[in-house]
Amino acid sequence: MTTVPPAAETAEVTEIDSSARCSLLLLLTCAALWLVLSGVLAVVNLVQLTTPTFLADCPIFTYGRSSALQQSIFVYGWAANSGLAVALWILARLGGEPLRSLNWLKAGTVFWNIALVVGLVGIASGDGTSNAWLHLPRYVLPVMVVAYGVIAMPGVLAWTGRRSPMTFAAQWYAVAALFLFPWLFSAAQMMLVFAPERGVLQALVAGWFVQGAWTLWLAPLALAPAYYLVPKITGRIIPSYDFASLSFWTLLFVGAWTGGRHLIGGPVPAWIATIAVVSCALLLFHYIVVGVNLRAAFSANGSTVLRFVAFGLGAYVLGGFIDAATAMRSVAVVTQFTHFSTAQSQLALNGAFSMVVFGAIYFLGPRITGRAWPSLGLIRAHYAAAVIGVTGLVLALFGAGWVQGHDLNDATVSFATMAAHTRPWLLAATAAQAVLLFGNLLLAAHLFWIGLAKSAPATGLFQSAPTMEASVS
Amino acid sequence: MSDPTPKDPRLEQAGATDESLLAAHEKLLGRKPDDGAHYKMLPLVLLFVFSGLIFYAGTYLNRYSVRYDATVFDENGHSTKGVAAVAKADPMVLGKKNFEAVCITCHQATGLGVAGVYPPLAGSEWVNGSEERVIRIVLYGLKGPVTVKGATYGAVAMPVFGKVTGSGYNWNDERIAAVLTYVRASFGNKAPAVTAEQVAAIHAKEGDRKEWSEEELLKIK
Repeated sequence: MTTVPPAAETAEVTEIDSSARCSLLLLLTCAALWLVLSGVLAVVNLVQLTTPTFLADCPIFTYGRSSALQQSIFVYGWAANSGLAVALWILARLGGEPLRSLNWLKAGTVFWNIALVVGLVGIASGDGTSNAWLHLPRYVLPVMVVAYGVIAMPGVLAWTGRRSPMTFAAQWYAVAALFLFPWLFSAAQMMLVFAPERGVLQALVAGWFVQGAWTLWLAPLALAPAYYLVPKITGRIIPSYDFASLSFWTLLFVGAWTGGRHLIGGPVPAWIATIAVVSCALLLFHYIVVGVNLRAAFSANGSTVLRFVAFGLGAYVLGGFIDAATAMRSVAVVTQFTHFSTAQSQLALNGAFSMVVFGAIYFLGPRITGRAWPSLGLIRAHYAAAVIGVTGLVLALFGAGWVQGHDLNDATVSFATMAAHTRPWLLAATAAQAVLLFGNLLLAAHLFWIGLAKSAPATGLFQSAPTMEASVS
Repeated sequence: MSDPTPKDPRLEQAGATDESLLAAHEKLLGRKPDDGAHYKMLPLVLLFVFSGLIFYAGTYLNRYSVRYDATVFDENGHSTKGVAAVAKADPMVLGKKNFEAVCITCHQATGLGVAGVYPPLAGSEWVNGSEERVIRIVLYGLKGPVTVKGATYGAVAMPVFGKVTGSGYNWNDERIAAVLTYVRASFGNKAPAVTAEQVAAIHAKEGDRKEWSEEELLKIK
């Protein structure tokens, strides 16, 4: 049951959107550029796995440095910028007031990205550390913590200054991501870079940080738009919404405890791996509830945005189940420390996070610029490339990891044989990564196109949205 | 690029206003649980799933956490915490600790005892002699007169230390072995160490018995 209210009060696009145009476009443009750059490096890295001589004479492009660059660019360039832009916009929309301290936001964005550039130059010239997701050299890390705080501030203000005391799941996840990342990031910096722990503890902290940055930062940054977009576009209430808060707190409490799953089978006390196995199993509840809550995304035909979101949600839930399965010790014996783990993180980052955020970008783009996306064909081509790229990449790496894992467990298989066995899988992964890069180039081009075009008040474009009824469906 | 119509997929019209979206979901949360006792399957199933996962997690944690031991890397291994950890300790350290807690009261820190009352350990033929005798003395005690280094002592009995009926100490075999090892290597004594196995063997052979007398001990070589 829907009724159409008077247009003036419930205009779909208001000052909330137009005032944030410049700041959000700045974040998104940086994000898209980083995404393309990270894609190029990802292709280079995959080529090097099958052709080790490729660019091997250039120190910057040796595998150790270029894969560190690629990882840092993806996480701190693409994911941070785009995830924050989307989270801030959602907090402003649901808060009912335009974003405040926008000049701070722009300054924070500039500092964050300049620090990242300096850090990347540092990695390329050999200053990088050996910690996954924390390769950036020590001299940029404190700047990045402060810059993050400045970028997050408008979001916090939108949350504390929201017009109504009511809250919605999308806001919980967005606010959690804003607050949890500085904690994870600064704690990991202290324990890995500035006052490094020794021995087993170091590996443990590194695992905790990588897993925490996913479960407590990037996953909430993706879930916030997912929880917002699905009911917003379908106009239907989220089913079993009572469980959303339980699912949220399960993620927050259990999420970082799954960090030990990166160390199963490694030289750590048995109980650390056991806790990780148990946490991965408990986290299944969170994934099940997310799937149940947002299942409308899968049946929404005709919505381009929800197609991206549905793929992302599918990857997210599937990834959760695969994490739990590979945490089982009997499976981990094969999959751990192989390409299989890479496939899991690609499924999470390129499959779940990126796809949901792409959907959000396509939704908010016309609202903040006041223009329709210039080309539907570009959006569809991006979707097709992303789906083919992610599916191909993840399946190929799963295959490579499985073969590699079995070979590694057989002492009679030589390294050369192993490389030969994984070669076809890795070639397929390289091709898929190239398709993914092509799709992301389309997004970057499209974003420039809509961003550079003259903006107009979007009021005429959008119809007044119907009111959602609180009846239980 | 054409002018968009309201139905244009490039715009993605909204299906609900933000305010009504907030209000509708807030209303759901305030709802009484299960209005009118219409038990729905899905919430029940979710609760069962959650309980099941917690049950599995608890069981698995209990089975494979190896008592959160930092030194065990195999989830099927055994914890070395508690009793077993004491066994691994250096017998000289453990022996000294026990000697200073108990034996020192009579035999003194110098191991010289008190003339006429408590016999000396330093240079004692009993301490440095056969393990068979000295183990029996500590395990079961010694009552009655005893001659040490030419002097006779008999005023006070040596208490029972082993896990024997009527023992006030109930020390296990490892502890007795450690104290004996310590005493036989201190105060100028240079007798070989005593192992827990030796103590256990004598303990098993003699079973539960009363204090020894000098006469009985001298029959044992």
